[in-house]
Amino acid sequence: MLQPILKINLATREISQFKVPREWLYDYLGAASLAARMLYDHLTPELNPLSPETPFLWLNGPLTGTAGPAVGRFVICAKSPATNLWGESNVGGFWGPELRKAGFDGLWIEGRAETPVYLWIHNNQIEIREASHLWGKETYNTQTAIQSELDAKNVRVAVIGPAGERLIPYALVLTDHGRVGGRTGMGAVMGSKNLKAVAVKGTGEVPLINWADYKAPRAKANRALKEHNATHYFREVGSGGAADYFDYLGSQPKKYYQAGVFEGSSKITGASLTEKYLTGVSACHACVIACGRVVDLGDGIKRKGPEYETMVGFGQNLLIDDLAATVRMGELCDTYGLDSISMSNIIGFAFSLFERGRLTLADADGLSLDWGSVEAATQLIHLTARREGIGAVLAGGSRSMEARFGDEGDAVQVNGLEIAYHDPRGASGFAIVYATSPRGACHNQSDYFMVDILGQTDEGLDISFHSRHAGAEKAADVARHQDWRTVNNALVLCVFASVPPLTVLELLNAGLGLDWTMADLLRCGERAWNLKRAINHRLGLTRANDKLPKALLKPYENGGSAGYVPPVQEMLTAYYVARGWDEITGRPTPAKLQELGLGWVVEDLWPET
Amino acid sequence: MPAKFPSEEWLAALKEKLNTDPKYADIAKNWEGDLCYAIEADQDFPQTMTLYMDLWHGTCRDAYMVKDGQEVSPAFTISGEYGNFTRVLKGELNPIQAMATMKLKVRGNYGYIMRNIPTVLDFTRCAQEVTVGEG
Repeated sequence: MLQPILKINLATREISQFKVPREWLYDYLGAASLAARMLYDHLTPELNPLSPETPFLWLNGPLTGTAGPAVGRFVICAKSPATNLWGESNVGGFWGPELRKAGFDGLWIEGRAETPVYLWIHNNQIEIREASHLWGKETYNTQTAIQSELDAKNVRVAVIGPAGERLIPYALVLTDHGRVGGRTGMGAVMGSKNLKAVAVKGTGEVPLINWADYKAPRAKANRALKEHNATHYFREVGSGGAADYFDYLGSQPKKYYQAGVFEGSSKITGASLTEKYLTGVSACHACVIACGRVVDLGDGIKRKGPEYETMVGFGQNLLIDDLAATVRMGELCDTYGLDSISMSNIIGFAFSLFERGRLTLADADGLSLDWGSVEAATQLIHLTARREGIGAVLAGGSRSMEARFGDEGDAVQVNGLEIAYHDPRGASGFAIVYATSPRGACHNQSDYFMVDILGQTDEGLDISFHSRHAGAEKAADVARHQDWRTVNNALVLCVFASVPPLTVLELLNAGLGLDWTMADLLRCGERAWNLKRAINHRLGLTRANDKLPKALLKPYENGGSAGYVPPVQEMLTAYYVARGWDEITGRPTPAKLQELGLGWVVEDLWPET
Repeated sequence: MPAKFPSEEWLAALKEKLNTDPKYADIAKNWEGDLCYAIEADQDFPQTMTLYMDLWHGTCRDAYMVKDGQEVSPAFTISGEYGNFTRVLKGELNPIQAMATMKLKVRGNYGYIMRNIPTVLDFTRCAQEVTVGEG
């Protein structure tokens, strides 16, 4: 990192700066990978993620703000209150580039403010400002209030809503026009520190080691990205455009992962949204894609439209065929500051438990939790955000709901993180991805369905195309794809951007003055993947954690993936071999750790050796 | 009768197939949109060529080779190297994957394509069934 990290103790109000060791830039690149290295020593099993002692790290990548192809993102990391394991969530918008322009590559936040505060970073002027008057406000209202009281143009504000204040373990952090760090509960960590928002304004230049060599490949890469089919597709129909195809293939879960077909499915798609409600698009910093949806439901109000996960989560997942309702429920999650994937998944679990009689009308405060009920789903969002009645139970997440109302394995989650809407029964690589992701069931640590379904075997990755229902033979390729996406999450390069890996390598070499090969780059990803795994083992994870919930191991009766379940155990065994991990414990072996330059972790991970 | 791709004979065979195949007629019954294949030269096919097909409600109303200087403005244009078209026609490459990975470039209404994936796939099946030889 070229610029310092701003260190802020909210309890003592001490503000200082420090620089990251130069060699760590080369070992980890930046963002999530670098955060794992920086936080390693602090992440102990005893650490309560919501305690004042928990360090909370916001980091940019080495290319953030350089107007390269879709590299305007930053990441927020801490021990996750949802999983008690590694937590990370990257965010688009403009906040990250703005922080770099202010002269910092990241924030290290610790301590708990005595009363609610927000941070105001205006170049080198840092203020901890009173926020009691903002506490309780919704996300967008908070942004507006802060922007008007700061009296400066284009201030970028990252905020939490009431969900973060109430420490809901799937609370999000929201920036700009509804770009969110939704997963692993980073909003709750922020709330636990009494930190309502971080406002940033920078007027400096974004630094880069070699701007002169970077500009030509950057222009070429942006031109190629702009012309890519996927870019046209994302701009026209958003990520929800995939809903039709995933529905056709049976890789899109319905009825809380229990049904392969839903009659109303064709109404809940990106194409439908474009046809009925789209009025414009929105983009993150310097992005040529503009996947963001701006919609009007007929009331003249411009709203953020849902992306694939929110649309399907509140649509097919709940058997709701009212597209406008999915827009409104997504908006409600954003305003309260709730992760829409977890929230919709948890509501699906509540509907499922209600259908089975495990959660009664009395438990549900008299709400009839019927499949397809927009009213019930909407009410559950309100109750959850306020932690009222049954909402207090839902606010604990699906794992705690399972402990109270269900049987082991009922909740569709892994390690405390609710599963996204990509079904391993439709694309088997996701069996490994969900079971082994360092942040619980996550679709962004490797979006392997892009390989399984869309054949994205980019040159340089040495990944082969297998049938979407192949088994253990794809394990090594999944591992390699995880390494690649770990590189993406270190940069931070948006997964929606179809930038060829060899182009990424060219950009990095040019901008950072490196002479790396693809093998070097992938090794960098593999190093961070193993480091995050080591962190999780240190926090108590064992091989037994690498598993899928019951629902995903039962074949669908109909739809495009009827009759199939992935051979998870065979796939995992092959995966451990490919990773060089111990097959009994699931830990990276001492030899693998040494090979990756992580010898300093061996003593923690293998104390008996 | 199957024919070599790309040729007048191949287009005629495809038109015949599309107009007589009951499965295609059913799946594509709502499709409205003409289509061009814009074939780019590669080492096995050192010329460019454009094929036009007017697809309407499960039938093919017209199909012809576009002559030099002739202007067409179809709803959809699929362009790419000859080798990538032939890989799709030989069943070696899934057409959706070909589009997702830019082996074939697509211009047209993406929402409409996503809405009509079964039609896209069944059109490809018909095209594969009328193709012989390298194509």
